[in-house]
Amino acid sequence: MSGIRRINPRRPFRITREGIRRIVLGEEGDAGDITLSPVARAASKPLRLVGEATATLLVVAHSDRGALDAPAREAIAAAAILADPATAVLVLVLGDLAEELGPFGADRILVVPECGNGAFLPDLEVSVLSDVIDRFQPRHVLMPDSPTGTGDLGRRVAAALDAEIATHVVELKPDSVACYRQGGTLLARRGLPRFILLDPGAIDAALPFRGAGERLDYAAHAVAPGLYRDLGLKPVAGAALPLEEADFIVAAGNGVRDVPTLEAVADLFGAAIGASRVAVEDGRFPRDKQVGATGKTVQASVYMAIGISGAVQHLQGIRACRHVIAINSDASAPIARRADLTIVADAQAVMQALVSETARRNWPGDALDEARADG
Amino acid sequence: MDSWQLRIAVLVSIGRNPVSGAARPNRNDLLALELARKAGGEVTILHAGDPNEPALADYLAYSAAPLETIPLPGGQDIVPALAARLQGFHLILTGSRTEGGEASGMLPYALAKRLGLPIVAQALDLAVAEGQAEITQFLPKGQRRRVTVGLPAIIAVHPMAPLAPRYSHLRRVSGQSVALPAPALTESASTAWRTEPARKPVVLKAGEKKSGHARMAAAITSESKGGTLVTDGTPAEKAQAILAYLRSHRLIEF
Repeated sequence: MSGIRRINPRRPFRITREGIRRIVLGEEGDAGDITLSPVARAASKPLRLVGEATATLLVVAHSDRGALDAPAREAIAAAAILADPATAVLVLVLGDLAEELGPFGADRILVVPECGNGAFLPDLEVSVLSDVIDRFQPRHVLMPDSPTGTGDLGRRVAAALDAEIATHVVELKPDSVACYRQGGTLLARRGLPRFILLDPGAIDAALPFRGAGERLDYAAHAVAPGLYRDLGLKPVAGAALPLEEADFIVAAGNGVRDVPTLEAVADLFGAAIGASRVAVEDGRFPRDKQVGATGKTVQASVYMAIGISGAVQHLQGIRACRHVIAINSDASAPIARRADLTIVADAQAVMQALVSETARRNWPGDALDEARADG
Repeated sequence: MDSWQLRIAVLVSIGRNPVSGAARPNRNDLLALELARKAGGEVTILHAGDPNEPALADYLAYSAAPLETIPLPGGQDIVPALAARLQGFHLILTGSRTEGGEASGMLPYALAKRLGLPIVAQALDLAVAEGQAEITQFLPKGQRRRVTVGLPAIIAVHPMAPLAPRYSHLRRVSGQSVALPAPALTESASTAWRTEPARKPVVLKAGEKKSGHARMAAAITSESKGGTLVTDGTPAEKAQAILAYLRSHRLIEF
């Protein structure tokens, strides 16, 4: 016999939370009914905060249509990473909220639905935030440095409270913040100030734990009308927008031959038109409509990919899109793995159906008139 | 009402060429200057810093307004000095952010607090009528918001304001520049900052103890959640499925 020890590769194993453990000498076991699906693993994330919280970190974010955007999630994750085991992460959501924030790391949630929908209410928001800071005494307040939303609010409140603030923070550590100076040639660093406004991309939002996600009741005090008056949003035609700024994009690929119908679909949703490289090189769309590695990188809320197979270079350009809807005749195309909803059908038929189905719709104006007549 | 004259102060800073590092007018402040010119009224350009800075003269070239400089050495808090000079103006316009200095975008807010004035940031356009300023504000996703604010007010101009400041050499050489008397010095409070050479920032990540198996699983499974697949049904039903998805996420309003 040779001196090599032979090991049975199918020897008994156990599955633990860390994965399969095979090196169990003299012990037998089986997998039982434990499964290792990614979903089960996500659900089994431990709670970060187990005991009673003695301190608070506050995160402030605006919601958009009941959901938080990526910078807001990064700010929550940042607070959850910074928080020690006895510190709760309190999230103040300005606007309504329709999603769970526990998986993003939020322990307690306050929702102020009055502040949503792109309304300009600086007086109300300042009063709400000052009140929440007063009541919970958070050690630090973290917010995404979005130019109009919390970036504006954070600067207002920090100026009003005469508090220390760091804006455009590109690097956050448990004991310091850093931001660029002199056009990016210097990095300035200091200890954690009271207000921290985070630039997007400074935090990895993936967490190995979850927050309790407990929603607290909160009623905002009404404020007297101040010097500001909001005259409302200006309607903008989606088609007139540059692709990078568009919120709804209808994009066509090789599977779309009928450009007028595509334009009708885009018109329906007030969407901008994009195209894949093949469709552009075919001459059906101008070069500035191309989405992907050699074209534009887009950040739309909805990206409707019609007849696009989804090459890696194209998927690169739509990485930041929140909802991807694909219409494709091939269910195994790569776009189906990226899309949230994939319709397996001939693109032309579905486009026409979309136009004819919505021709029978109730216009929002009609619904409003009916509501007025009722009430 | 005819005797009423709109008085606008435009706060300017010294910009910095991102490649050469040379001093230049700050583009954001040039936009504020151009917006002030468009709004009409009597414009004063105000700068706090070194009155002998050659790049300051370029601001004269972009506007017929006189330039006033509050002489202040670096590292001083400019808010008290500016606030003292800014009494009596109806509108105070600034760019959104400096290119040198702290570049925090806090100055208009600090001034608003000190002077007790309202502030509107991200302005793209401005019109003044009946003691009110109507401002078009930039919002992301191509949206624009109209806001009115009572005067006096502070307005910070967005870098994407659709304005084209024009350079005139004649204005540059004939413009008048005044150095104001030096104010009392106030040490800047922001001494907590230490600078270091720039490098790529480190992304904050949650520390995670992972077994080799978990790392392998994470590497081989794609992050994609794999959405809903609709294969059956007529085109009309499939179109309804799309509309239902959009409605359930409140992405369309019909």
